[in-house]
Amino acid sequence: MNSPDFPIFVSITEEEIDLNALLDKVTLTSTGAAAIFTGMVRGKTSRAGQAQGINYAPHETTYLEYEAYKPMAEEKMLQVAKEIREKWDVVEGIAIIQRIGKLYPRTPTVLIACTASHRDTGVFEAARYGIDRLKEIVPVWKKEVMPDGEEWVEGKYIPAKK
Amino acid sequence: MNKVNILFFATIRTRAKRSSLELDIKADATVADLKEILINQIPALEASLHHTLVSIDREFAFDEDIIPEGAEIALFPPVSGG
Repeated sequence: MNSPDFPIFVSITEEEIDLNALLDKVTLTSTGAAAIFTGMVRGKTSRAGQAQGINYAPHETTYLEYEAYKPMAEEKMLQVAKEIREKWDVVEGIAIIQRIGKLYPRTPTVLIACTASHRDTGVFEAARYGIDRLKEIVPVWKKEVMPDGEEWVEGKYIPAKK
Repeated sequence: MNKVNILFFATIRTRAKRSSLELDIKADATVADLKEILINQIPALEASLHHTLVSIDREFAFDEDIIPEGAEIALFPPVSGG
């Protein structure tokens, strides 16, 4: 069950995301499963849709430029990890990493890894919750640079007073 | 008086044409009071302030919150990481 020894690793980084190094940080001898979500820069958006509440048309992306309020972002990533723990006490290790700077198509930008003893423990849902929550409360922003201009992407989530 | 440091990010930084500002505010000033002071100092911020998020010492803050001594304040748009 939940133990203070379970590892939590959060980071805002300009370095390349190293999946193997992160997996090593959150794997215990009791671990038998890891659910990993990673998001990457999409170079070509071929259908209209919605991201972070903004409607978009098919278009090409040259690169995304990410910016963070690093100390608050890392505190909020810890809060996300704590919330995961409260909801899924079987989750063992949690890693949450957001890469910032200028990132080109096909480059991983974010990674959430949750580990548990078995795959049927809710560990998939825990990783899903982690990325959804990161997109709500972790202060990171991106500017999309396209062949014909650039635009800041703004989210729509407004935190409520506790 | 209370000397506070205000950080700006993303679209707010672009509109303010700076990434930070130091201000002396009265001791019991609220977030709403600070927004008014900022609009006077940087008129370009007025249009976006209604959907600007505010943090005090790295925690989300709201209009009625009183700003503590020497606070680190940040103004930014809804987040878009991931």
